[in-house]
Amino acid sequence: MAITVKVMKRPTNEISYVRAALKGMRLTFKHMLQPSVTMQYPEEKSQDDWTISQRWRGTHRMLTDEEGRSKCVACGLCPQICPANCIKLVPGEDENGNRYPLIYEIDEFRCVFCGYCQEVCPEEAIHVGVHYENAEYERARFVYDLERLQAQTHPVSTLWDPSDPRGE
Amino acid sequence: MSDALVTVTIDGIEVQVPQGTPLIEAAKQAGILVPHYCYHPSLPSPAVCRMCLVEVEKAPKLLPACVTTVTDGQVVHVNSDAALKARESVLEFLLINHPLDCPICDQAGECELQDYVFQEGRAATRYADYAKRFNPVEDFGPDVLYIPNRCILCTRCVRFMEAVAEEPVLNVSERGDRAYIGIFPDATLDHEWAGNVVDLCPVGSLVSKDFLHKARAWDLDRTASICPGCSQGCNMTIDTRDNVVVRLRPRPNMDVNRHFMCDTGRQDYRWMNRGDRIEAPLIRAGNKLQAVDWASALDRVADTLRGADGKAVILASARASTESLGMTHRLLDGFDLTAAVRVPTGHEAPLAGIANLALREERTPNVAGAELTGYTRSWDEALELAGSAQVVVVLDEALTADEFDRVRAAGTVIVLGTIDHQAYQAADIVLPIATMAEEHGSYVNRDGRAQVYRQAKASPGMARPAWWVAAEAGGRLAEGRAVPATAGDAIVMLGQSIPALAGLTYQSMGFIGRPVATASGVAS
Repeated sequence: MAITVKVMKRPTNEISYVRAALKGMRLTFKHMLQPSVTMQYPEEKSQDDWTISQRWRGTHRMLTDEEGRSKCVACGLCPQICPANCIKLVPGEDENGNRYPLIYEIDEFRCVFCGYCQEVCPEEAIHVGVHYENAEYERARFVYDLERLQAQTHPVSTLWDPSDPRGE
Repeated sequence: MSDALVTVTIDGIEVQVPQGTPLIEAAKQAGILVPHYCYHPSLPSPAVCRMCLVEVEKAPKLLPACVTTVTDGQVVHVNSDAALKARESVLEFLLINHPLDCPICDQAGECELQDYVFQEGRAATRYADYAKRFNPVEDFGPDVLYIPNRCILCTRCVRFMEAVAEEPVLNVSERGDRAYIGIFPDATLDHEWAGNVVDLCPVGSLVSKDFLHKARAWDLDRTASICPGCSQGCNMTIDTRDNVVVRLRPRPNMDVNRHFMCDTGRQDYRWMNRGDRIEAPLIRAGNKLQAVDWASALDRVADTLRGADGKAVILASARASTESLGMTHRLLDGFDLTAAVRVPTGHEAPLAGIANLALREERTPNVAGAELTGYTRSWDEALELAGSAQVVVVLDEALTADEFDRVRAAGTVIVLGTIDHQAYQAADIVLPIATMAEEHGSYVNRDGRAQVYRQAKASPGMARPAWWVAAEAGGRLAEGRAVPATAGDAIVMLGQSIPALAGLTYQSMGFIGRPVATASGVAS
C-alpha cells in the first residue's frame, strides 16, 4: 500500500528573512545616529556622571596623624570584630611608651568589605575606602601592610549613619 | 561570731547565712552580684569606694554591703531605684578623671570599671569642659607599673601590701581629687608576692610589665590548672593565646592559696612555650636514633623490658603528674625497682598574712604524689644504682650531661622527655611526652591535697602524655593488662592498687581538689 504524505504549503511571506533583516538594520542604523552612552573604561573615566556612592566600601586606608604616624593604637578591636578574620595585628610599644601596631596587615582577598573595622575603631584610624581599582599581578600583593594602607590616597567611606538613615 | 544562721531577703530571694556575714557575701549566695571595687574577700574592707551601696529596709540611708553584716529578717534591695541611682552617681564621679583609654589599656575586657559603667553608668559625661587630672606613669617595681590616671583609689593594693604581705610600701598620697597611690621613697614593690596587686586592681591602673600589650583579654583562652612551681600547689589559670601561654594568674581556692600566687610561679611559664621539643619517638638503630611511629616505639619498649630482668631504676621529675609517675612505676613492677624523684630547692617565701601559704623550698609540685606512687627522694642513691641497672627510665627530668654519662652504662636507657637535649642522643629509646600545660593530670601538694590540672594547649608533634606512653607500653608487655583511655581512668586504676588514692576521681577532685592520705599522714 502506498503511503500518502500530506504536504503543507509553506507560508513564504511570514518566513522571509529579508523582512527580519531589514527590521534589524533599521534598529542598528537608528542607534548609529543617537549619541553614545558607552564609556571607554579604563582609557576614559568620567568624573561627573559616573561617581560611586560615598558609602561605597572598598579597599582599606589607614589614616595618619599630623606627624605621619598611623592613628592606630593596636587596641585589637578590628581583628576581633572582623567576620572574615582578615586582619593581623601585633601590638608593640614605641620609645615614648605609646602603644602602636608592630604588624598590621589586611588580607583584601579574605575581606568581605562589611566595614565593621571602620565602625568599631575607637581612634578613627582604619577606614574602608571609596575605591574599586584593585588589580594586581600577584596574589601576595593583596595583603596590604601598614605602610601600604597608609599610602592609600583614595577618599574614605562614609558609613551609613543610623541617626540619619537617608543622608549621605 | 556564732554559727547561728540568719535569714535575709535580698531582691526577693531568701537566703540563710551564718551570723556576721557581710551583705555582699550573702547576696553572692543569693546569686546577686553587688557591684564593688574596694571589697575583696581576702582583704579587710574599708568601704571607701561606695560602689556597693544597697538599700536596706528600715535603714535611714543606703548602706555599704561590704561592711554591713546581716541581721535576721533583713530585707535588702540591691537593684532598687535608690541603689541604682547611687551607683550611677559613684560611677560618674569615678569617670571624672578616668582617661577612658580603653583601646590602649591592658585591662580592657576584664575591667570592672568598664563592666559596671556599661551596665549601669551614665551614657555621657557632664564634665566635658574640665581638663582631667594628669599624673605620669610610675615604675613601682620589677613587674608592676602604676598608671595613676586610671586609678579609682579603691586601695586594694595598699591593703594587700599592708595586711597580707605585711610589707607596707604603698600608701594613698595627697588628698581629694589629687590623691594617688604612692610608694615610699627608696622603696620598690619587689616583695615575692607583689604581683598580686596587678590581679587585685579592678581597673588597669596597676599592670604587669611582663604582660603589657601582649594580648587583649578577649583573645585569651583560660584553663584551670595548678602551679607547677613548688609543693604548695597554688591553683592557677593558664591564659593562652593561639596555643601560646601568655600569662599565669591565681585561681581562688580558699583551702590552698585563697586569691594569691607568688611572682616566681607567675613568671614560670616560658618553658611551656619552648620550641626545641622532641616531636617523634626515637629508637636506636645502629649508632644513631631514628624517628619511628608510636606502635614501633612502644613495641621496642615492651620487647626490651620483656628480655630484661634484675635491677631497674626510674629517675623521675616530681613535676610529672601522679598518673604518669604511677603508670611508669607500674610498667616496671616486675623488676627489682628503685624509683626516685629529684626535688630542686630554693628559698622559702611565705605570704605573711595568710596561714600556710608560701613559696615552698621544694620547687616541684608533686613530691607527695611521687611518694604515694612508690618514689623516694633518694636521687643520688638511685643515680648510683642506675649505672649498673638493666633498665633505666628517665621520666620528664632533664639530666645533666654528667648525670647522663653515669646512666648510659645501664643496659637500656629509656627517656620520656619533653626537651630535645643533646645528651639524649646516647639513650636507647626516646619518647616524646607532653608538658603539664599540654595534658590532663593531677598533683598532690605538700598538704596531701590532690588537685586536677587541665590541658591548656596542644602538644607538639607526636608527643603524648607520659601516663599514656607508660600504660600503652605496659599493655604490650603484659597480655591482658588494662590500659586507661583517659587520665581520669588512669587515676582510678592507680586507686585500685594504691590505698591512699582509692576512690579518687577527677569528678571528686573538681576545681578545688580533695585531701588524700599521704605518706606522712592523713591530710588535714
